[in-house]
Amino acid sequence: MARVLDDILFVALLVLVAVIAAFLIFPLIVAVLMAFDARTYLGTFPPHGFSFQWFYRFFNDEMYMRGLKTSLLVATISTFASAIIGVTAAIALVHTRSRARQALEAIFLSPLIVPTVVIGFALLLFFSRIGLFIGFTRLLCGHIIITVPYTIRVTLAGLVGIPKSISEAALSLGASDWRAFWTVTLPLARTNIFAGTIFAFVFSMDDVSVSLFLSSVDTYTLPVAMVGMMQSQFDLSIAAAAVFLMVVMTTLMLAIDKIFGVNKILVGK
Amino acid sequence: MTRILREKSQRLLLLLPPLVVFSVLLILPLGNVVDQSFRVFEGGSIGAAADAHLTLLNYSELIRPTYLFYFIQTFRIGFVGSVLAVTLAFPIAYLIARMRSQFWRGIASGALIALISVSTLVRVYALLLAFGPVGYGNQLSAILGLGQNSAAYTEMVVLAGLVYFHTPISALVLIGTIQGLNSELIEAAQSLGASRWKSHLSITIPLCLPGISAAFLISFTVCVSAFVIPLILGKGKVLFVSNLIYNRFSEVANYPSGSAISVVLLSITLFFVVIVPWLFTRLTAASSG
Repeated sequence: MARVLDDILFVALLVLVAVIAAFLIFPLIVAVLMAFDARTYLGTFPPHGFSFQWFYRFFNDEMYMRGLKTSLLVATISTFASAIIGVTAAIALVHTRSRARQALEAIFLSPLIVPTVVIGFALLLFFSRIGLFIGFTRLLCGHIIITVPYTIRVTLAGLVGIPKSISEAALSLGASDWRAFWTVTLPLARTNIFAGTIFAFVFSMDDVSVSLFLSSVDTYTLPVAMVGMMQSQFDLSIAAAAVFLMVVMTTLMLAIDKIFGVNKILVGK
Repeated sequence: MTRILREKSQRLLLLLPPLVVFSVLLILPLGNVVDQSFRVFEGGSIGAAADAHLTLLNYSELIRPTYLFYFIQTFRIGFVGSVLAVTLAFPIAYLIARMRSQFWRGIASGALIALISVSTLVRVYALLLAFGPVGYGNQLSAILGLGQNSAAYTEMVVLAGLVYFHTPISALVLIGTIQGLNSELIEAAQSLGASRWKSHLSITIPLCLPGISAAFLISFTVCVSAFVIPLILGKGKVLFVSNLIYNRFSEVANYPSGSAISVVLLSITLFFVVIVPWLFTRLTAASSG
């Protein structure tokens, strides 16, 4: 009797999970399918016919392309800067005594805790006060501070995993500190540095909150352009933009997951 | 001796770039916000004048019912959203953690990660389509007995958005917790005659409570400072505290007031991220010995 009840409950669990999974997946299916709608106006789901017209419009729209170009530039440069800052910070941290290290780590990871809207608002006020009005530089600075915690965290995780004895062996064989680091430690932490860098890139491309504060009339990122579109007109070129972003970002994230494990970065263990 | 000295100066040299970046791009701007939040608002310029008078007005006006309403709304929707997210996440996590085949477990958690990695804005837009007139907005609002443009339906959509974002993350947190359980305890209960579902209710769920509360705390903290979800799905009818900060900047250009709201939101977040976990560990340490 108990076994029958168990089986019934197990089937109920399966059904429940299937319903939740449908809730999680269905909206994305709607967005992806609508991006290929052949109607020239915004009709109801499901789409009628198949066409690339919204993609054509996306790739030929000046606003989207301007945003995409800025996004790619900001993401590339800020990721590069974050990677360098992250690596230097992580190396300094592994060699620091535990109490100072805890305090420094708390500071370095704090942008993950401060709400991004607060970071964006604070930077906007601060840049205006010190007279920094160049849109691109503003965006770049904002993206560095929100991505650098990830490069620090992931690089640090890699450096902690390297036994001290390996670099000590290099030192006792006569290598200088610098050489031991450059030829022994750094190559061993390479995977983590790489994973942290891709993650920073994805995070920069994804940001809305900070960019919305720091964008100007002629310098804005792709997500900011998309938010503008969503609020002013409801046109399926946004769906095409969404599919484009989805393909690029999901490929990158699955690549990091293969190399490193995304849940380690997100959950922190 | 010289070696130790050299290492120390090298370390300081390495710490210099991150410390400069964090001072200029985080600590100084946040300090400036705290300073601005106590200044008298004068229209027309970005930020109060350097010699503006000090005031508590920016904070005291937040206690007025109009502002208090937004704080309560944020907490209410955020609370319901994270409770629902953790509730929906538990069965998913349980099923994945207990899968026998490592291959399918990999596929299932890979699917969760793929879902999380879809750009925030893309997911918000997908929800906007699916719950709007293009998708099933007409039918859903009719079933709920609400007008499609009513504030109540908009609130439901914002809530669905929070649940949508936090269910997969909570599931990832919970998978670790459930996998870490000692399965011998459950087997022992079953061998002593408990049915499977009864052993789960009396053993699995209580043992998972720390993980469940961690998942809830993470998602509640993030929900309370949610910005993009209410910005797009709320359509101006449902505003969270974050949206108020943005409106202070984009609509009324009242920076001292925006600063005060930022300080309050930051304090709330720090309370849940630092103080609550600290209290929690003290309490569990006290109760276990």
